[in-house]
Amino acid sequence: MTKRILTGNQAVALGALRAGVRVAAGYPGTPSTGCLTHLLSLDLPDRHVEWSTNEKVAFEIAAGAAWAGQRALVTMKMSGVNVAYDALISIAYSGTKGGLVIYVADDPGVTAGMAEQDSRGFALMADLPMLEPADAAEAYALTQTAFELSEAVGTPVFLRLTTAVALSHSGIEVEEPVPLAIRDVILEKDIARYTKAGSAICKRQHAELIERLDRASEWIQERGLNRLELSDAPGGLGIVVVGAVTPYLDEALELARGAGADRSLASMLDDVSTLKVSATVPFPWEEARALIQRSDQVFVLEELEPYAEREVYLAAYQLGIDLPIIGKLDGTLPRIGEYTLSTVLSGMDRAVSSSPDWEAPSALPEADAKGVSPASRPITVCAGCPHRGTYLAIEAAIKEAGFEKEEVMVAGDIGCTILGMNPPFDLLWNEVSMGSSLGIAQGYVHAGLKTPVIATIGDSTFFHGGMPGLINAIQHRVPLTLVLMDNGWTAMTGMQVNPGTDEDRQLGARRVDLESVVRGLGPDRVAVVDPYDVRVTTDAIVECLRDIGGVGVVIAQRECAIQAARRKVRYGTVSVDAEKCTLCKQCLRVTGCPALSLPLEAKGLGESPCGDSPGTRLAIAVDPSLCNGCGICVSFCPTGALKKGAS
Amino acid sequence: MSCNIVLVGVGGQGVLTIADLLIRSAFEAGVPASYCPTKGMAQRGGFVKAEVRLGSEGIGPRIGEGQGDLVVSMERSEALKGLLFLKPGGTFLLFDHVWAPTGVMLGADSYPERAQVAQAIRTVSEELIVLDPDELPTVDGNTVRPNIYILGAMIGRTAVGEILTRETVEGTIEARWPKAAGANRGAFRSGLTSADGV
Repeated sequence: MTKRILTGNQAVALGALRAGVRVAAGYPGTPSTGCLTHLLSLDLPDRHVEWSTNEKVAFEIAAGAAWAGQRALVTMKMSGVNVAYDALISIAYSGTKGGLVIYVADDPGVTAGMAEQDSRGFALMADLPMLEPADAAEAYALTQTAFELSEAVGTPVFLRLTTAVALSHSGIEVEEPVPLAIRDVILEKDIARYTKAGSAICKRQHAELIERLDRASEWIQERGLNRLELSDAPGGLGIVVVGAVTPYLDEALELARGAGADRSLASMLDDVSTLKVSATVPFPWEEARALIQRSDQVFVLEELEPYAEREVYLAAYQLGIDLPIIGKLDGTLPRIGEYTLSTVLSGMDRAVSSSPDWEAPSALPEADAKGVSPASRPITVCAGCPHRGTYLAIEAAIKEAGFEKEEVMVAGDIGCTILGMNPPFDLLWNEVSMGSSLGIAQGYVHAGLKTPVIATIGDSTFFHGGMPGLINAIQHRVPLTLVLMDNGWTAMTGMQVNPGTDEDRQLGARRVDLESVVRGLGPDRVAVVDPYDVRVTTDAIVECLRDIGGVGVVIAQRECAIQAARRKVRYGTVSVDAEKCTLCKQCLRVTGCPALSLPLEAKGLGESPCGDSPGTRLAIAVDPSLCNGCGICVSFCPTGALKKGAS
Repeated sequence: MSCNIVLVGVGGQGVLTIADLLIRSAFEAGVPASYCPTKGMAQRGGFVKAEVRLGSEGIGPRIGEGQGDLVVSMERSEALKGLLFLKPGGTFLLFDHVWAPTGVMLGADSYPERAQVAQAIRTVSEELIVLDPDELPTVDGNTVRPNIYILGAMIGRTAVGEILTRETVEGTIEARWPKAAGANRGAFRSGLTSADGV
């Protein structure tokens, strides 16, 4: 054993390697990305690791490998389960031969955007077991347990981490790496198991699925994955705690038992019983019943949805025991946000308080009470980002085609491209899911909108889920303009390859040519432009908007500025002629580029750190460490103070 | 001995680097520790937070509101977000750098004064240390890296120094950037004995 500093994501990766995973596939999505990134950083002979086109494809690859007898892992963020789910239900019915583990990272508190979706609901609906480690050390162990359970029962198994467990670093013990023990490929042809054509087949598979879940329940109980500790004396508080909340409960109990703690709380905790749940599906009925029978009241601690809590109500009903159950359903704890020590303490406070006026603290941030607020810091695109040019071109094109900004619906999509929703662009109207901009835009057209509609999407998102929407628009002759912002990377999640990434960055895989794909689908008009050239990009979009009869696609192609910078690419320099700069701020107002700044004196915020010597005229400053010379700001400077030079 | 530390700032300032150095140092010293980054969707210029818990075994990585023994802000305005995490009577270390968002530069949004931020902090705790970015020392003619300087101040001037020794942290810094050992040592040591900004 060696102790190493690892994140939960890395612990899952190393646990899977230790368990003998042969195939690992996934699609990037915070907070799950780090697992596959870690596997890709290692030299792993005999194993296959890939970023797939989307989560459904990734899951099918893992399932195929598992049906052929190998151990396989698929990784995704919670939104990815929505994408994979069509295949998932079907594969759940068939079960698996080799161990098949679905690693999903949920995001209570929404630190990475999208929804506070609780993926436990998916495990319930699919009748698949789900394991939920409390920390990175348990993630390492439970990943291996998940593979064992999967093979012992013949079922795919979910492994669920939440943001704090997936992303936090701590020192954990891991075993030495072992080479992969090669297994023979199994070729089993059995249409009664692997197809769904026929009511009899499906009903039998359903029965087998339920039977597997029952066997999983027994297996989990034999392994003692859910730990029940009953108090010596009957009565007192019974606490059910799930996954990532467990360490906060331990800390709260320690605090409550410590010196100076509230006396009524401390006395109540003399008789505390706990059920620590690491396998949430199937629910540990037997342990929960024992806890209920031992306790005067039950306190359920789980983030997001009250899944375990509902089962506790049901278990109490079946036992014919009427006792107070503290959790979300009585309004004590929130269904929103991450839980911390404070949340646990607030629930314990409710448990000891007999006051009918007890009020739950708000889960949403409260207005600042100190009379001063932090400056708003909306997320914008990086200095040199090619999307900046595209947003400015879309806005200019709407005007030049004779429309008002407020009458042209511009649908947004997932990834960095959505940042056009924020100032200074304020361009995008909505964000739904991977590839949805195309379908949403078509709906507005069919609703009878007389002005043009525009859909925007990034390259990876287009390959992932955008292509069916574009095909549909072309097939049904829906007049719309698609602006495809092709920066060559899956950038928002930290620069993963996608099908369109340059061949020499493809980790041995091939590049799929985005332009050929689009042209092959046959839209009425295709233009490929460089978004650093705002004029040319604007013209291409204007042509599409004026030709309102068909599907126009403008591919704005330029590599992500961060990735270009990592390769030491600079497109030039931008300098400021202080004599010409009138501090009109037009460059800042239009581009919002983080490389541009106003001297602090001009805002009355004190001395500028920019190094202006006294007596020189105040001017806009360009940070040379950020500016990559894209030159977009230069074209918007009305006095010619900003100048582009050679690199 | 344990310490809950919340570090906040703006993407690009090195907030996460400080947290990383703290947890590596704790690991070297055999002190249990966890570190949880929150960087949202920002490559640069967005809110960044790191939660570091030193000295306690088997605890969750998040530090709840009002639970921070030490809050460090590398930016004036972001200090107000960090303040939510300060325990009454805890220590607040403010590096009073101003990173004005575009809306502020355009005059559309307001930005707090140093005195307003200090006053808000003092409603929670009197233990306020202010480091002035304009008074950053120089080593061999170059201004020191602010984050290493701040790390020095954390070790030299707060309770973190009772958990992690100067030698351990210096060793961690040097191991991470062997080529810049001299400049970083200068930054770290000047932080250890840094004086309050006005």
